[in-house]
Amino acid sequence: MNNASQYGDLATQLLTESRRSTATNTLLKYNDVLVRAIVREQRDLEARIEAALARSAAAADPDSDAGAPAPAENAYMPTILLYQTAILRNKRCLLAYHHHRIEFLKDLYWSVGGALPLLLALPPAGANANANAQAAAAGGAAGTGAAPQDVRSKLSPHEVDFLRSYNESLRTLRTEAFSSAAGGGAGHGLTEDIDLLAPISHPPKDLQVHVRVVRDCGVVYTELGAIDFKRGHRFLVRRSDIEHLIVQGYLEES
Amino acid sequence: MDRARPAVLPQELAEETPFQQLIRHWMNERHAPDILPGQEMLLGRLLDHIRKQCNDVELLRADPDSSEEEHFRIMLVQTEVERVKFVIRSYVRTRLHKIEKYARHISATPETHEKLSKAELDHARRYARLMEYHFNQSVLQSLPEQQRSLEENVAFMPPMTREPDKIRPVFAHALQDCPPMRLPDGTMSEMQKGQISLVPYYVVEHLLLRGEVELV
Repeated sequence: MNNASQYGDLATQLLTESRRSTATNTLLKYNDVLVRAIVREQRDLEARIEAALARSAAAADPDSDAGAPAPAENAYMPTILLYQTAILRNKRCLLAYHHHRIEFLKDLYWSVGGALPLLLALPPAGANANANAQAAAAGGAAGTGAAPQDVRSKLSPHEVDFLRSYNESLRTLRTEAFSSAAGGGAGHGLTEDIDLLAPISHPPKDLQVHVRVVRDCGVVYTELGAIDFKRGHRFLVRRSDIEHLIVQGYLEES
Repeated sequence: MDRARPAVLPQELAEETPFQQLIRHWMNERHAPDILPGQEMLLGRLLDHIRKQCNDVELLRADPDSSEEEHFRIMLVQTEVERVKFVIRSYVRTRLHKIEKYARHISATPETHEKLSKAELDHARRYARLMEYHFNQSVLQSLPEQQRSLEENVAFMPPMTREPDKIRPVFAHALQDCPPMRLPDGTMSEMQKGQISLVPYYVVEHLLLRGEVELV
């Protein structure tokens, strides 16, 4: 799969992976092997371009001014152009692949409401398939000890770092812009005015929502008091209190 | 050319509630390809209002003398608060999405800074640095020295720093009679109040910023 018959073939394979990832809405494993192969190809191309430049300088008319001949007369110009085009294309393809994965990860991040540990443990389906995959993940992760299906295994270490830093940056933004000091006597602690991580797919129609507990979440403080969410029970609770639990998959709307 | 025109708000616009204004800005932000000036004052006012309403609701609920009618009113108020919060949330996240998309461009162009709040600008800068760091770590560091730049712009290829696409078509609804605007083929066109046109974004951009047009 990795033998390239011309410059740029490996890059095209990388792009095909990106397209496949979008088409199936899953995040594929970070293709370290292919990326390294392309980097090797880049180094090879760079060496060749240096050689061509050196040869063209050497073949220049000794009487002319120092340096290579003018581009229009340089016999090596087509060679140099070819290598340069391949270099630029490979580089853009590499960057595009990484950028595409980052965008995918960001969508995934927002779809789980910014819960990083949950995100890293998810199966690598896309943002839209999450709700269905939640229940499957709960059963699957506990049952099989086989090959890890979680998102974390598909990421390169740099991508994990990126997610953490992105999370931090967002948290700073939320604290700076959308929090205010809790009113009244207890002046310490910031509460959020607007929870940016809540879903924005459709506006809330009802104040309250029926939920069914899919996974135990323990005691949660709502406006009706402390409720112990045990698996299988149904509750009528205020939407804004438990929305984050729905997004993360502990509760299911019914 | 338009400076002689008095800035008179038509009757309907002058009576818009803050929430209606927010909805108009929210729709504009969702449809526009570029980032529009942020409405911090409006958001601040609405957030204060929400906070006050929530406090009032708390007081009313704690009061054992409230009647059945009060109970309904409280529910209505709470539902409306949720809906307002939804619009604010969607507005902020749309802006955030666009900011992150053009983060590098924003960091490099001081003119865009006045459209963003300070917190948003900080986030844009941090995000641009984060992306650059990530690209460097995963790709560019392993490449030979001459290939490490993120600013290589080649002829006939789109630039490496993404810029807002102002040619994208948008539906513009005129809120009042508009001054003439120049269409791509050179002709001038005027919109009457209530008219809707499909034009490239840059044609109505100045009208949008002045509030004479909204995007639908």
